[in-house]
Amino acid sequence: MFDSLSTVMARVLKLGSLLVLAIALLGALIGYLAIGVSGVYAALIGSAAAFLFTALTALSVLIGSKLNLAGFLGAVLGGWLVKMVLFLIGFSMLNRAEWLTRESRPIVFFTVVAAVIGGLVIDTMIVSKARLTSSEEKP
Amino acid sequence: MQIIHLAAEAATQVSQVSGNLGVLGYGLAAIGPGIGVGLVVSKTIESIARQPELAARLQVTMWLGIAFTEALALIGLATPFIFAA
Repeated sequence: MFDSLSTVMARVLKLGSLLVLAIALLGALIGYLAIGVSGVYAALIGSAAAFLFTALTALSVLIGSKLNLAGFLGAVLGGWLVKMVLFLIGFSMLNRAEWLTRESRPIVFFTVVAAVIGGLVIDTMIVSKARLTSSEEKP
Repeated sequence: MQIIHLAAEAATQVSQVSGNLGVLGYGLAAIGPGIGVGLVVSKTIESIARQPELAARLQVTMWLGIAFTEALALIGLATPFIFAA
């Protein structure tokens, strides 16, 4: 039984969200013990940002795969560009936010790094185990 | 002699750069992944043009390549949270 591109991406999104949930909970616990409530916010924001960033790429590939080659590239590369700009603005605003205390900011960084690296491990495992057919009909 | 004078003048001007250096950091964080994603995509187009029947497999591999490359971009964007002055 072969996997289709959409089942692989669905699997990635499902397992990725579970991993990010685990990292968010662990980060929130560490943040609360180390800093307080602001640490919990920082961990939740960091893990949510990392998940959104990686999930949007998977989603753009999923949507793009239903289009022709030009549409696929437009969806993936255009989505990537828009996402980068939005994240730049979002992180810039977050960096100026006063409710996120100075001590809790490293927690945002470390949850982002943990979620991204953990996500990459899951992605690689899923892709290496996927049995993709070599003849998929393109529209 | 004039070159030395110009170099000294340039060095003085560089030492007087003011403003938010984080902007330079973002630029540097975007260059690498930008080139990386471009390379991944160009090679995928080439491969799909050669073997269209492998498109699904190549698209998944391309996505994995982009995921690894953009991880660096995301970490670069998040660095102000740890390196802020």
